[in-house]
Amino acid sequence: MSRYSAVIMLTVLSTGCMHETKPQTQPPPVAATPEPVKAPQTAKATPATAKPPSPTSKAPATTSKTKPAPATTAKTAPSSATKPQPAPPKQAAAATPPKQATAPAPPKQAAAAPTLDLDGLEARLKQTKAIGLMTKLSLKNKVDDLLVQFRQHHAGNPMPTVAELRRSYDLLMMKVLSLLQDRDQQLASDILSSREGIWGLLADPKKFAALQAE
Amino acid sequence: MTTRVIALASSLFTLACLVTPAAAQQDDEALKKDLTAVIALQGQPCGEVVSATVLKQNDYAATCKDGNKYHVYENDKGRVVVEKQK
Repeated sequence: MSRYSAVIMLTVLSTGCMHETKPQTQPPPVAATPEPVKAPQTAKATPATAKPPSPTSKAPATTSKTKPAPATTAKTAPSSATKPQPAPPKQAAAATPPKQATAPAPPKQAAAAPTLDLDGLEARLKQTKAIGLMTKLSLKNKVDDLLVQFRQHHAGNPMPTVAELRRSYDLLMMKVLSLLQDRDQQLASDILSSREGIWGLLADPKKFAALQAE
Repeated sequence: MTTRVIALASSLFTLACLVTPAAAQQDDEALKKDLTAVIALQGQPCGEVVSATVLKQNDYAATCKDGNKYHVYENDKGRVVVEKQK
């Protein structure tokens, strides 16, 4: 008889604790329904969930058991109106750092674009020892061929489309970079950073005409 | 005095004998790499140039690791030509 009274007392106390935990976490709605059936089990579980802040030894064990509960609360969070409110600030706070991380990137690209020095790059390509003489001549042939294709494109010929020109340009860039990247990394990185700038000069008919006039 | 001059001359001769082949070997390796890159740029199968012979200025005969042989030269229009030799 005393055992029954003890169980009842524990149940009452556990329900009291459950009410206290409601404002803190969301599991109560889920645990509130099976109260009559699982009263002894919840009585053991609830003190554990209520005590995690104070005891250190039981906390790891309870966290492994209580992990599903936060997951369900996270899933059920949209249904309740009051408790998702704390979460959004955290998500917003967590979401803002990536935005801050991605934000600095465009200024770097924007800063790299104005530093286009074609004459300097050309001189450095001629002087570099990373590429042999015959390879330089071969590359120059390919550059001249590509310039002819750009001329044809800007003259109104439909045959080399912009996409085809871009493909040829990218391939040529890859060839140059593959030759430079091991023995003249600085020049390779400078050419790589000027890649879009050079394409901008070639793709724009006015800029290309001005480039040819020089 | 004469002994010193002889010793100096002999040491210089020895040094020259050691340095010249090393420099020539470096040039040879650089030429092989250059020709390997040229052949690859022209899209020809080669793998790696294992031997190269200078025929004249900007005119070479190259033998590749896979057995292919190429004549690599600059024509009168300034274009680099890679011709496969049989």
